[in-house]
Amino acid sequence: MGYVWEFGVVFNQLDLLLAGLLNTLKITGGALLFGIPLGLLAAILRLSTYKWLRVSVGVLIEFFRTTPPIVQLFWFFFALPMLSGIEMDPFRASLVTFSIQSSAFFAEVFRGGIVSIERGQWEAARAIGMSYLESMRRIILPQAVKRMIPAFLERVIELMKTTTLVATVSYADLLYQANNIAQSTYRPLEVFTVAAGLYFIVLFPTSLLVKRIERQLAKTGEGTVH
Amino acid sequence: MEHVWDFQTVFASWSLLSQGLFNTLKLGLLTLITGLFFGFFVGLGRYSRSSWVNFPAGVFVEVFRNTPALVQIMWFYFAFPIISPFDIDTFAAAALGLGLNTTAFCAEIFRGGIQSIHRGQWEAGKALGMTYREQVLRIILPQAVVRMIPAFMNRVVELMKMTSLASVIAFGELMHQAKTISTYHFNPIESYTVAALLFFLVISPFAFLVYHLENRFRK
Repeated sequence: MGYVWEFGVVFNQLDLLLAGLLNTLKITGGALLFGIPLGLLAAILRLSTYKWLRVSVGVLIEFFRTTPPIVQLFWFFFALPMLSGIEMDPFRASLVTFSIQSSAFFAEVFRGGIVSIERGQWEAARAIGMSYLESMRRIILPQAVKRMIPAFLERVIELMKTTTLVATVSYADLLYQANNIAQSTYRPLEVFTVAAGLYFIVLFPTSLLVKRIERQLAKTGEGTVH
Repeated sequence: MEHVWDFQTVFASWSLLSQGLFNTLKLGLLTLITGLFFGFFVGLGRYSRSSWVNFPAGVFVEVFRNTPALVQIMWFYFAFPIISPFDIDTFAAAALGLGLNTTAFCAEIFRGGIQSIHRGQWEAGKALGMTYREQVLRIILPQAVVRMIPAFMNRVVELMKMTSLASVIAFGELMHQAKTISTYHFNPIESYTVAALLFFLVISPFAFLVYHLENRFRK
Protein backbone atom coordinates (compact mmCIF):
# COMPACT_ATOMS: atom_id res chain seq x y z
CA MET A 1 0.00 0.00 0.00
CA GLY A 2 1.54 3.24 -1.10
CA TYR A 3 -0.21 5.59 1.27
CA VAL A 4 1.32 9.06 1.41
CA TRP A 5 1.18 10.47 4.92
CA GLU A 6 0.35 14.15 4.99
CA PHE A 7 0.55 15.70 8.42
CA GLY A 8 0.58 19.26 7.09
CA VAL A 9 -3.21 19.55 7.01
CA VAL A 10 -3.37 18.50 10.64
CA PHE A 11 -0.78 20.97 11.83
CA ASN A 12 -2.63 23.75 10.00
CA GLN A 13 -5.51 23.07 12.37
CA LEU A 14 -3.45 22.42 15.44
CA ASP A 15 -5.04 25.41 17.21
CA LEU A 16 -8.43 23.67 16.99
CA LEU A 17 -6.98 20.49 18.46
CA LEU A 18 -5.30 22.43 21.25
CA ALA A 19 -8.58 24.23 22.00
CA GLY A 20 -10.11 20.76 22.25
CA LEU A 21 -7.35 19.63 24.59
CA LEU A 22 -8.04 22.67 26.76
CA ASN A 23 -11.72 21.69 26.99
CA THR A 24 -10.70 18.13 27.88
CA LEU A 25 -8.57 19.51 30.72
CA LYS A 26 -11.43 21.79 31.75
CA ILE A 27 -13.85 18.87 32.12
CA THR A 28 -11.21 16.80 33.93
CA GLY A 29 -10.40 19.67 36.31
CA GLY A 30 -14.07 20.44 36.97
CA ALA A 31 -14.84 16.79 37.69
CA LEU A 32 -11.90 16.69 40.13
CA LEU A 33 -13.06 19.88 41.83
CA PHE A 34 -16.45 18.38 42.66
CA GLY A 35 -15.52 14.70 42.64
CA ILE A 36 -12.83 14.82 45.34
CA PRO A 37 -14.93 16.38 48.16
CA LEU A 38 -17.92 14.27 47.16
CA GLY A 39 -15.73 11.15 47.17
CA LEU A 40 -14.33 11.97 50.61
CA LEU A 41 -17.85 12.44 51.95
CA ALA A 42 -18.97 9.15 50.39
CA ALA A 43 -15.96 7.35 51.88
CA ILE A 44 -16.68 8.68 55.37
CA LEU A 45 -20.37 7.76 55.06
CA ARG A 46 -19.42 4.28 53.89
CA LEU A 47 -17.33 3.85 57.02
CA SER A 48 -20.19 5.02 59.22
CA THR A 49 -21.33 2.89 62.14
CA TYR A 50 -24.96 3.16 61.01
CA LYS A 51 -25.65 0.07 58.99
CA TRP A 52 -28.37 1.47 56.73
CA LEU A 53 -26.20 4.46 55.82
CA ARG A 54 -23.18 2.28 55.15
CA VAL A 55 -25.13 -0.11 52.96
CA SER A 56 -27.05 2.48 50.93
CA VAL A 57 -23.94 4.56 50.21
CA GLY A 58 -22.10 1.34 49.34
CA VAL A 59 -24.77 0.35 46.82
CA LEU A 60 -24.65 3.82 45.22
CA ILE A 61 -20.85 3.71 44.93
CA GLU A 62 -20.97 0.23 43.42
CA PHE A 63 -23.66 1.25 40.98
CA PHE A 64 -21.58 4.11 39.61
CA ARG A 65 -18.44 1.99 39.57
CA THR A 66 -19.97 -0.93 37.68
CA THR A 67 -22.12 0.74 35.05
CA PRO A 68 -20.47 2.14 31.91
CA PRO A 69 -19.88 5.90 32.10
CA ILE A 70 -21.40 6.38 28.63
CA VAL A 71 -24.72 5.03 29.93
CA GLN A 72 -24.53 7.45 32.88
CA LEU A 73 -23.72 10.36 30.59
CA PHE A 74 -26.62 9.59 28.28
CA TRP A 75 -28.90 9.22 31.25
CA PHE A 76 -27.94 12.60 32.67
CA PHE A 77 -28.03 14.26 29.26
CA PHE A 78 -31.21 12.82 27.76
CA ALA A 79 -33.24 11.37 30.60
CA LEU A 80 -32.68 13.66 33.59
CA PRO A 81 -33.88 16.88 31.88
CA MET A 82 -37.14 15.14 30.96
CA LEU A 83 -37.59 13.90 34.51
CA SER A 84 -36.70 17.02 36.42
CA GLY A 85 -37.04 19.93 34.03
CA ILE A 86 -33.42 20.91 34.75
CA GLU A 87 -31.88 22.25 31.57
CA MET A 88 -28.76 20.42 30.49
CA ASP A 89 -26.16 21.54 28.02
CA PRO A 90 -23.32 19.20 27.00
CA PHE A 91 -20.87 20.85 29.42
CA ARG A 92 -23.18 20.68 32.41
CA ALA A 93 -24.23 17.09 31.73
CA SER A 94 -20.60 16.03 31.36
CA LEU A 95 -19.57 17.84 34.52
CA VAL A 96 -22.38 16.24 36.57
CA THR A 97 -21.68 12.76 35.18
CA PHE A 98 -17.93 12.79 35.66
CA SER A 99 -18.09 14.44 39.08
CA ILE A 100 -20.38 11.70 40.35
CA GLN A 101 -18.67 8.91 38.47
CA SER A 102 -15.18 9.85 39.63
CA SER A 103 -16.39 10.50 43.18
CA ALA A 104 -17.46 6.85 43.38
CA PHE A 105 -13.93 5.78 42.48
CA PHE A 106 -12.29 8.39 44.73
CA ALA A 107 -14.50 7.17 47.59
CA GLU A 108 -12.91 3.74 47.29
CA VAL A 109 -9.40 5.22 47.19
CA PHE A 110 -10.10 7.32 50.28
CA ARG A 111 -11.71 4.39 52.07
CA GLY A 112 -8.73 2.16 51.29
CA GLY A 113 -6.37 4.81 52.62
CA ILE A 114 -8.35 5.44 55.81
CA VAL A 115 -8.75 1.73 56.55
CA SER A 116 -5.02 1.16 56.01
CA ILE A 117 -4.17 3.30 59.06
CA GLU A 118 -3.75 1.11 62.12
CA ARG A 119 -6.47 1.04 64.77
CA GLY A 120 -4.05 2.30 67.40
CA GLN A 121 -3.90 5.71 65.77
CA TRP A 122 -7.64 6.17 66.29
CA GLU A 123 -7.36 5.00 69.86
CA ALA A 124 -4.43 7.30 70.55
CA ALA A 125 -6.36 10.28 69.16
CA ARG A 126 -9.38 9.41 71.28
CA ALA A 127 -7.16 8.95 74.33
CA ILE A 128 -5.97 12.55 74.10
CA GLY A 129 -9.56 13.71 73.86
CA MET A 130 -10.03 14.29 70.13
CA SER A 131 -13.48 14.02 68.58
CA TYR A 132 -14.14 11.81 65.54
CA LEU A 133 -13.77 14.73 63.11
CA GLU A 134 -10.62 15.98 64.79
CA SER A 135 -8.94 12.58 64.71
CA MET A 136 -9.91 12.17 61.05
CA ARG A 137 -8.60 15.60 60.08
CA ARG A 138 -5.49 15.78 62.24
CA ILE A 139 -4.35 12.18 62.69
CA ILE A 140 -5.80 9.81 60.11
CA LEU A 141 -6.05 11.76 56.85
CA PRO A 142 -2.55 13.33 56.95
CA GLN A 143 -1.06 9.82 57.18
CA ALA A 144 -3.52 8.22 54.77
CA VAL A 145 -3.16 10.82 52.02
CA LYS A 146 0.44 9.84 51.33
CA ARG A 147 -0.50 6.23 50.71
CA MET A 148 -3.39 7.24 48.47
CA ILE A 149 -1.38 9.37 46.05
CA PRO A 150 -0.51 6.67 43.48
CA ALA A 151 -4.04 5.22 43.36
CA PHE A 152 -5.40 8.73 43.27
CA LEU A 153 -3.27 9.79 40.29
CA GLU A 154 -4.15 6.52 38.57
CA ARG A 155 -7.80 7.56 38.88
CA VAL A 156 -7.05 11.00 37.45
CA ILE A 157 -5.52 9.32 34.40
CA GLU A 158 -8.58 7.09 34.05
CA LEU A 159 -10.84 10.11 34.45
CA MET A 160 -9.13 12.05 31.71
CA LYS A 161 -9.36 9.06 29.38
CA THR A 162 -13.05 8.67 30.21
CA THR A 163 -13.82 12.32 29.41
CA THR A 164 -13.46 11.44 25.69
CA LEU A 165 -17.09 10.36 26.03
CA VAL A 166 -18.21 13.99 26.11
CA ALA A 167 -17.57 14.04 22.36
CA THR A 168 -20.65 11.82 21.97
CA VAL A 169 -22.87 14.58 23.36
CA SER A 170 -21.14 17.17 21.13
CA TYR A 171 -18.98 18.88 23.72
CA ALA A 172 -15.95 20.21 21.83
CA ASP A 173 -13.19 18.22 23.53
CA LEU A 174 -10.04 16.94 21.83
CA LEU A 175 -11.70 13.87 20.33
CA TYR A 176 -14.67 15.86 19.05
CA GLN A 177 -12.36 18.37 17.33
CA ALA A 178 -10.31 15.53 15.86
CA ASN A 179 -13.45 13.95 14.45
CA ASN A 180 -14.53 17.25 12.89
CA ILE A 181 -11.14 17.92 11.34
CA ALA A 182 -10.96 14.35 10.04
CA GLN A 183 -14.27 14.86 8.27
CA SER A 184 -13.38 18.21 6.74
CA THR A 185 -9.87 17.28 5.58
CA TYR A 186 -10.45 13.61 4.65
CA ARG A 187 -7.30 12.79 6.60
CA PRO A 188 -8.61 10.61 9.48
CA LEU A 189 -5.39 8.60 9.68
CA GLU A 190 -3.21 11.61 10.44
CA VAL A 191 -5.76 13.47 12.55
CA PHE A 192 -6.65 10.58 14.87
CA THR A 193 -2.99 9.64 15.20
CA VAL A 194 -2.08 13.19 16.26
CA ALA A 195 -5.04 13.30 18.66
CA ALA A 196 -3.92 10.03 20.25
CA GLY A 197 -0.43 11.49 20.46
CA LEU A 198 -1.68 14.57 22.29
CA TYR A 199 -3.48 12.42 24.88
CA PHE A 200 -0.30 10.39 25.27
CA ILE A 201 1.82 13.50 25.82
CA VAL A 202 -0.36 14.53 28.76
CA LEU A 203 -1.01 11.10 30.27
CA PHE A 204 2.36 9.38 29.95
CA PRO A 205 4.29 11.76 32.26
CA THR A 206 1.50 11.32 34.83
CA SER A 207 1.90 7.54 34.58
CA LEU A 208 5.66 7.86 35.08
CA LEU A 209 5.04 10.03 38.13
CA VAL A 210 2.76 7.34 39.60
CA LYS A 211 5.46 4.69 39.18
CA ARG A 212 8.08 6.95 40.70
CA ILE A 213 6.01 7.77 43.78
CA GLU A 214 5.14 4.10 44.20
CA ARG A 215 8.82 3.14 44.11
CA GLN A 216 9.66 5.86 46.62
CA LEU A 217 6.92 4.81 49.02
CA ALA A 218 8.01 1.19 48.67
CA LYS A 219 11.57 2.21 49.59
CA THR A 220 10.47 3.85 52.82
CA GLY A 221 8.49 0.73 53.55
CA GLU A 222 5.18 2.54 53.30
CA GLY A 223 2.28 0.61 51.82
CA THR A 224 0.10 1.96 49.03
CA VAL A 225 -3.56 1.32 48.44
CA HIS A 226 -5.04 0.33 45.11
CA MET B 1 -42.63 18.03 35.74
CA GLU B 2 -44.63 14.87 36.13
CA HIS B 3 -43.18 11.96 34.25
CA VAL B 4 -45.23 8.84 33.74
CA TRP B 5 -42.84 5.94 33.74
CA ASP B 6 -43.69 3.48 31.03
CA PHE B 7 -41.42 0.49 30.59
CA GLN B 8 -43.87 -1.22 28.24
CA THR B 9 -42.20 0.10 25.11
CA VAL B 10 -38.77 -0.99 26.31
CA PHE B 11 -39.82 -4.54 27.06
CA ALA B 12 -41.74 -4.69 23.76
CA SER B 13 -38.30 -4.25 22.17
CA TRP B 14 -36.80 -7.04 24.24
CA SER B 15 -35.50 -8.86 21.15
CA LEU B 16 -33.34 -5.81 20.33
CA LEU B 17 -32.04 -5.62 23.89
CA SER B 18 -31.25 -9.32 24.15
CA GLN B 19 -29.40 -9.16 20.85
CA GLY B 20 -27.44 -6.21 22.23
CA LEU B 21 -26.67 -8.12 25.39
CA PHE B 22 -25.43 -11.02 23.31
CA ASN B 23 -23.18 -8.73 21.26
CA THR B 24 -21.83 -7.10 24.42
CA LEU B 25 -20.90 -10.50 25.83
CA LYS B 26 -19.46 -11.63 22.50
CA LEU B 27 -17.22 -8.57 22.21
CA GLY B 28 -16.23 -8.74 25.88
CA LEU B 29 -15.39 -12.44 25.87
CA LEU B 30 -13.43 -12.35 22.60
CA THR B 31 -11.30 -9.38 23.63
CA LEU B 32 -10.75 -10.86 27.09
CA ILE B 33 -9.41 -14.11 25.67
CA THR B 34 -7.16 -12.42 23.10
CA GLY B 35 -6.04 -9.88 25.71
CA LEU B 36 -5.08 -12.61 28.19
CA PHE B 37 -3.30 -14.67 25.55
CA PHE B 38 -1.22 -11.91 23.96
CA GLY B 39 -0.87 -10.03 27.24
CA PHE B 40 0.98 -13.03 28.66
CA PHE B 41 3.63 -12.86 25.92
CA VAL B 42 3.93 -9.08 26.01
CA GLY B 43 4.26 -9.25 29.79
CA LEU B 44 7.05 -11.81 29.51
CA GLY B 45 8.59 -9.67 26.78
CA ARG B 46 8.78 -6.68 29.10
CA TYR B 47 10.61 -8.85 31.56
CA SER B 48 13.13 -9.90 28.91
CA ARG B 49 16.77 -8.89 29.25
CA SER B 50 17.18 -8.16 25.53
CA SER B 51 16.25 -4.56 24.80
CA TRP B 52 15.14 -5.63 21.30
CA VAL B 53 12.28 -7.40 23.02
CA ASN B 54 11.53 -5.34 26.10
CA PHE B 55 11.67 -1.90 24.46
CA PRO B 56 8.96 -2.46 21.81
CA ALA B 57 6.88 -4.34 24.36
CA GLY B 58 7.19 -1.37 26.72
CA VAL B 59 6.24 1.14 24.03
CA PHE B 60 3.21 -0.92 23.05
CA VAL B 61 2.00 -1.19 26.65
CA GLU B 62 2.51 2.49 27.46
CA VAL B 63 0.83 3.71 24.26
CA PHE B 64 -2.27 1.62 24.82
CA ARG B 65 -2.45 2.36 28.54
CA ASN B 66 -1.99 6.10 28.15
CA THR B 67 -4.44 6.88 25.36
CA PRO B 68 -8.23 6.72 25.76
CA ALA B 69 -9.95 3.50 24.67
CA LEU B 70 -12.50 5.50 22.68
CA VAL B 71 -9.70 7.12 20.66
CA GLN B 72 -8.27 3.67 20.00
CA ILE B 73 -11.62 2.33 18.78
CA MET B 74 -12.21 5.38 16.56
CA TRP B 75 -8.68 5.13 15.24
CA PHE B 76 -9.27 1.54 14.19
CA TYR B 77 -12.63 2.41 12.66
CA PHE B 78 -11.89 5.67 10.84
CA ALA B 79 -8.11 5.78 10.38
CA PHE B 80 -6.84 2.20 10.19
CA PRO B 81 -8.93 1.08 7.15
CA ILE B 82 -6.90 3.50 5.01
CA ILE B 83 -3.71 1.50 5.48
CA SER B 84 -5.31 -1.85 6.31
CA PRO B 85 -5.12 -4.60 3.68
CA PHE B 86 -8.46 -6.05 4.80
CA ASP B 87 -11.94 -4.64 5.45
CA ILE B 88 -12.79 -3.39 8.92
CA ASP B 89 -16.40 -3.46 10.08
CA THR B 90 -17.68 -2.06 13.37
CA PHE B 91 -17.13 -5.33 15.21
CA ALA B 92 -13.57 -5.72 13.91
CA ALA B 93 -12.67 -2.14 14.83
CA ALA B 94 -14.10 -2.47 18.35
CA ALA B 95 -12.45 -5.88 18.81
CA LEU B 96 -9.06 -4.56 17.63
CA GLY B 97 -9.19 -1.48 19.85
CA LEU B 98 -10.42 -3.24 22.98
CA GLY B 99 -8.34 -6.37 22.32
CA LEU B 100 -5.07 -4.44 22.12
CA ASN B 101 -6.08 -2.24 25.06
CA THR B 102 -6.77 -5.33 27.17
CA THR B 103 -3.53 -6.93 25.97
CA ALA B 104 -1.58 -3.93 27.29
CA PHE B 105 -3.31 -3.92 30.69
CA CYS B 106 -3.03 -7.72 31.06
CA ALA B 107 0.66 -7.51 30.16
CA GLU B 108 1.18 -5.22 33.14
CA ILE B 109 -0.71 -7.61 35.41
CA PHE B 110 1.39 -10.56 34.23
CA ARG B 111 4.58 -8.54 34.65
CA GLY B 112 3.61 -7.42 38.14
CA GLY B 113 2.62 -10.94 39.14
CA ILE B 114 5.81 -12.51 37.78
CA GLN B 115 7.96 -9.83 39.39
CA SER B 116 6.32 -10.47 42.75
CA ILE B 117 7.75 -14.01 42.77
CA HIS B 118 11.06 -14.14 44.57
CA ARG B 119 14.25 -14.36 42.44
CA GLY B 120 15.26 -17.51 44.25
CA GLN B 121 12.40 -19.39 42.63
CA TRP B 122 13.89 -18.80 39.18
CA GLU B 123 17.33 -19.81 40.40
CA ALA B 124 15.98 -22.94 42.04
CA GLY B 125 14.28 -23.87 38.77
CA LYS B 126 17.51 -23.34 36.88
CA ALA B 127 19.46 -25.32 39.46
CA LEU B 128 17.17 -28.28 38.78
CA GLY B 129 18.12 -28.07 35.13
CA MET B 130 14.85 -26.56 33.91
CA THR B 131 14.73 -24.53 30.72
CA TYR B 132 13.36 -20.97 30.74
CA ARG B 133 10.03 -22.27 29.46
CA GLU B 134 9.82 -24.91 32.14
CA GLN B 135 10.69 -22.38 34.85
CA VAL B 136 7.90 -20.06 33.69
CA LEU B 137 5.26 -22.74 33.20
CA ARG B 138 6.00 -25.00 36.16
CA ILE B 139 7.48 -22.76 38.87
CA ILE B 140 6.66 -19.09 38.34
CA LEU B 141 3.18 -19.02 36.78
CA PRO B 142 1.45 -21.45 39.15
CA GLN B 143 2.49 -19.21 42.07
CA ALA B 144 1.95 -15.88 40.31
CA VAL B 145 -1.48 -16.60 38.83
CA VAL B 146 -3.15 -16.83 42.24
CA ARG B 147 -1.91 -13.35 43.15
CA MET B 148 -3.07 -11.95 39.81
CA ILE B 149 -6.68 -13.13 40.02
CA PRO B 150 -8.16 -9.99 41.69
CA ALA B 151 -6.41 -7.75 39.15
CA PHE B 152 -7.76 -9.86 36.28
CA MET B 153 -11.28 -9.74 37.68
CA ASN B 154 -10.93 -5.98 37.88
CA ARG B 155 -9.92 -6.00 34.21
CA VAL B 156 -13.07 -7.96 33.36
CA VAL B 157 -15.16 -5.25 35.07
CA GLU B 158 -13.34 -2.46 33.22
CA LEU B 159 -13.49 -4.33 29.91
CA MET B 160 -17.21 -5.04 30.13
CA LYS B 161 -17.80 -1.34 30.77
CA MET B 162 -15.57 -0.41 27.86
CA THR B 163 -17.55 -2.56 25.41
CA SER B 164 -20.23 0.15 25.61
CA LEU B 165 -17.82 2.46 23.72
CA ALA B 166 -18.45 0.38 20.60
CA SER B 167 -21.87 2.07 20.43
CA VAL B 168 -20.08 5.23 19.25
CA ILE B 169 -19.14 3.51 15.98
CA ALA B 170 -22.64 1.93 15.83
CA PHE B 171 -21.76 -1.66 16.72
CA GLY B 172 -25.05 -3.20 17.89
CA GLU B 173 -24.16 -3.88 21.53
CA LEU B 174 -26.43 -3.14 24.47
CA MET B 175 -25.87 0.61 24.66
CA HIS B 176 -26.40 1.04 20.92
CA GLN B 177 -29.63 -0.96 21.08
CA ALA B 178 -30.87 1.22 23.94
CA LYS B 179 -30.05 4.29 21.84
CA THR B 180 -32.03 2.81 18.92
CA ILE B 181 -35.01 2.04 21.13
CA SER B 182 -34.96 5.52 22.67
CA THR B 183 -35.00 7.30 19.31
CA TYR B 184 -37.70 4.99 17.99
CA HIS B 185 -40.06 5.18 20.96
CA PHE B 186 -38.99 8.57 22.38
CA ASN B 187 -38.36 6.96 25.76
CA PRO B 188 -34.74 7.78 26.72
CA ILE B 189 -35.54 7.69 30.45
CA GLU B 190 -36.80 4.13 30.42
CA SER B 191 -34.47 2.69 27.78
CA TYR B 192 -31.26 4.10 29.32
CA THR B 193 -32.41 3.12 32.81
CA VAL B 194 -32.98 -0.45 31.65
CA ALA B 195 -29.61 -0.47 29.86
CA ALA B 196 -27.86 0.75 33.01
CA LEU B 197 -29.55 -1.95 35.09
CA LEU B 198 -28.67 -4.68 32.58
CA PHE B 199 -25.02 -3.62 32.61
CA PHE B 200 -25.11 -3.58 36.40
CA LEU B 201 -26.57 -7.10 36.47
CA VAL B 202 -23.85 -8.43 34.16
CA ILE B 203 -20.90 -6.63 35.74
CA SER B 204 -21.62 -6.44 39.48
CA PRO B 205 -21.04 -10.17 40.15
CA PHE B 206 -17.44 -9.69 38.98
CA ALA B 207 -17.03 -6.57 41.11
CA PHE B 208 -18.38 -8.50 44.08
CA LEU B 209 -15.93 -11.31 43.36
CA VAL B 210 -13.03 -8.82 43.42
CA TYR B 211 -13.99 -7.69 46.92
CA HIS B 212 -14.41 -11.24 48.08
CA LEU B 213 -11.04 -12.38 46.71
CA GLU B 214 -9.18 -9.33 47.99
CA ASN B 215 -10.58 -9.86 51.47
CA ARG B 216 -9.58 -13.51 51.37
CA PHE B 217 -6.05 -12.78 50.19
CA ARG B 218 -5.61 -10.17 52.90
CA LYS B 219 -6.16 -12.91 55.48
